[in-house]
Amino acid sequence: MNNIIELKNVNVVYDSVRVLDNISLKLKSPFFAVIMGPNGAGKTTLLRTILGLVKPVSGEIRVYGYDPAKNSKAIRGMIGYVPQIVNINTYVPITVEEVVSMGYLSKVRPPRLLTKRVKKRVREVLEIIDLPGIENKMFTELSGGQRQRVLIARALIRNPKLLLLDEPFSMLDFNIKCEITELLYRLFKDFKIDILLVAHELSPCIAYQPLVIILNRKIFAIGKANDVLRLEVLKEAYPGVTTLPGGVIIGEDHA
Amino acid sequence: MRTMLEMLIVLIYLLALLTGILIGSISMPLVMSRNIMFSLTLLHSILGGSVLGVYLNTIFNLSLPIPLVATLTAIVLSILTAELVERGFPEDTATAFSVALATTITIISSFYASSISSTALAEAWSYVMGASSLATLEDLMKVLIVLILTIPTVHFFWKEFKYIAFDSEGAEALGLNVRFYRYLFYSLAALISAVLSSTVGVLVAHVVLAVPGAFAVRISRKNPVLFSYIISVFLMISGYILARILNLPPSGGVGIVSTILVLSLVILREYG
Repeated sequence: MNNIIELKNVNVVYDSVRVLDNISLKLKSPFFAVIMGPNGAGKTTLLRTILGLVKPVSGEIRVYGYDPAKNSKAIRGMIGYVPQIVNINTYVPITVEEVVSMGYLSKVRPPRLLTKRVKKRVREVLEIIDLPGIENKMFTELSGGQRQRVLIARALIRNPKLLLLDEPFSMLDFNIKCEITELLYRLFKDFKIDILLVAHELSPCIAYQPLVIILNRKIFAIGKANDVLRLEVLKEAYPGVTTLPGGVIIGEDHA
Repeated sequence: MRTMLEMLIVLIYLLALLTGILIGSISMPLVMSRNIMFSLTLLHSILGGSVLGVYLNTIFNLSLPIPLVATLTAIVLSILTAELVERGFPEDTATAFSVALATTITIISSFYASSISSTALAEAWSYVMGASSLATLEDLMKVLIVLILTIPTVHFFWKEFKYIAFDSEGAEALGLNVRFYRYLFYSLAALISAVLSSTVGVLVAHVVLAVPGAFAVRISRKNPVLFSYIISVFLMISGYILARILNLPPSGGVGIVSTILVLSLVILREYG
């Protein structure tokens, strides 16, 4: 099986701060993977580097055999990206149909007309994410979990082979986080879409036995949760980790 | 004589109508992208550009059209703001940098222009305050040309402006050329602001740029664009009528109606 994502000694520097330090990583399809790490660990940067939005200062990246920085168009045709919901400007009066169709229409040249075909495709992906018939609702009328699903639908409308999700659980209740994970796992199993998500907590995903990548500028461990979530690894990756008789506290909102 | 007066009144209201449409087109995207701070850049760069124009004309004995110098200055500084945002600066920092640059141009140009000509500053100031209540055919043509250029462009790229305002990171990841659309939008805003400045004045132009969009979003989430047009046309025409009644320049009337609308927005927010 081919490597879908391959990074060799990748270094990313922002304002003379090394955000990703000599990252080497190989992910073969199929994978359902979670990147964990403290704030400022470079998790988002890693996703953006894979997408070609950030150019490394050194190292080599191949995504589906392409260099993302040079073949961003080809890469973005195969990857669906769900950004952090906190970066969404909810002041914009926009309908669910407009949000989801954005994923499709961004592939065509302006004027990006909302044709019957596009509308039909919007309805189809809304059914996949279990939110049928909400296309005419305003995005701001939706709950946090529904908003997250709509952003996933926007990525799905392009028929991606890989979904990159940046903190899809942020600002959600635990049961909603579990529902989102269930949806992602269904996309992975039924639609054969590889999943790579950034998360502060693993508990909503643990039942699906994801591949866990512990990152804090460097990769500290890759493997199944049981193998990776060991005290010595966490102590190294999470500065300020606190041990308790019943387990560990790894600071911030991580658990 | 009476026919001439009637013609002039028609001209004034036609100008009010066209400027209203122009404001309606840009107000929504400006408010939507939370870029009202950016209008500060426009205010200062148009002011700086007009003083610079007066200075260049005085020093080098040129006859550069001041609105053109002001428009070009506004476009250049707007693109500078867009580029700084694109390079990762927060919008308020980018705006502050451009405003500082524009203010420096204003101060230096004013100092040198006033040391050479006693009327130079008054000339620039008339541009800032807006024209008298007399509208000319030239004003009308200027607004009409900008309107023909900008409105189709704004609506042709409406989806892109909306997507980028909604989620610029997502839009970039989807492959939209965010930098290009940001440049385009800021340039359109600069062009519209410059033409408004020569009709209603720089100061009021920036009030009226924000009010219709903010009001439209407040009263209609489904069709704010239409409301933005309706409110801005109402604002301009009622402002001109009020100015005539109170014997003020149009900017005064428009300013009063804008203030009333802003107050109603506050009341609507508190009790609506």
